[in-house]
Amino acid sequence: MIPPEVSLESIKSELTDALAYVASVNLETDVSMLSETNLRFYVTFHNRDGNKFYAEFNCADYPVHPPTIEFVNENRTERGAKHLYPNVFHPTPCICMRYNRKAHGEMGGPHGEWRLIDWQLATPNGGPIDSLAMMVSDLHIKILSATGRMG
Amino acid sequence: MMTEMLKDKEEKDKGNRNRVELQVQTPRGLWNQKLPKDAPVRPVYEKTAKIQQIIDDARTVFKFVENDNKYTLFLGEQQLEPTRTIVSYHLEDETLLVLSVQGGNA
Repeated sequence: MIPPEVSLESIKSELTDALAYVASVNLETDVSMLSETNLRFYVTFHNRDGNKFYAEFNCADYPVHPPTIEFVNENRTERGAKHLYPNVFHPTPCICMRYNRKAHGEMGGPHGEWRLIDWQLATPNGGPIDSLAMMVSDLHIKILSATGRMG
Repeated sequence: MMTEMLKDKEEKDKGNRNRVELQVQTPRGLWNQKLPKDAPVRPVYEKTAKIQQIIDDARTVFKFVENDNKYTLFLGEQQLEPTRTIVSYHLEDETLLVLSVQGGNA
């Protein structure tokens, strides 16, 4: 368990690059609720047709453990349903990347062979994604190519 | 003397017209004429240079050494083809490009 103030400091130090990147690719972010008691922020992605996908980054225990990245609805009352996901991810539904805590077997995800503390290692078919800004970049390009929703 | 000075200026202007000063946002920071301070190269290119050159240089500046990731340059939402030249996209001085880094997929 990482003290929340340590996680918050780490997140804030990485957000400079992440927010600059987000702005350059015309994505929207909401970090207004980020605090020691709520280590979450939100990024609104979109595909080339302009469909919006709302991602929640829950960064408890970051950076020792990766964030849990989940798609939610616009007002954040619904989460994890297929229709909230772009159709470029695992149909669990789940973003099957080491940098997503939900993908790990320890958290009930499909990848029992991964360890949470190894989240900065490469996911198959690619190299390591090791920061919040890199996660945003990876998700941005994948979601851009989505042709619609998963369900 | 005056003629030589004018000639020099003309040559300089011509050189400037053939070059472009770009900016590249990456997940590890912004690359331009001033940032990062210790950058070994700046994003100044002959207009005939290929997009791939910008990608390679940006990777060097920010130490994106992972060859298994996919590196793509964007102008807004337009994906730039690495084999095309800068002039073919009509990029002007100070244009902001974005280097996208894509990992794998399990």
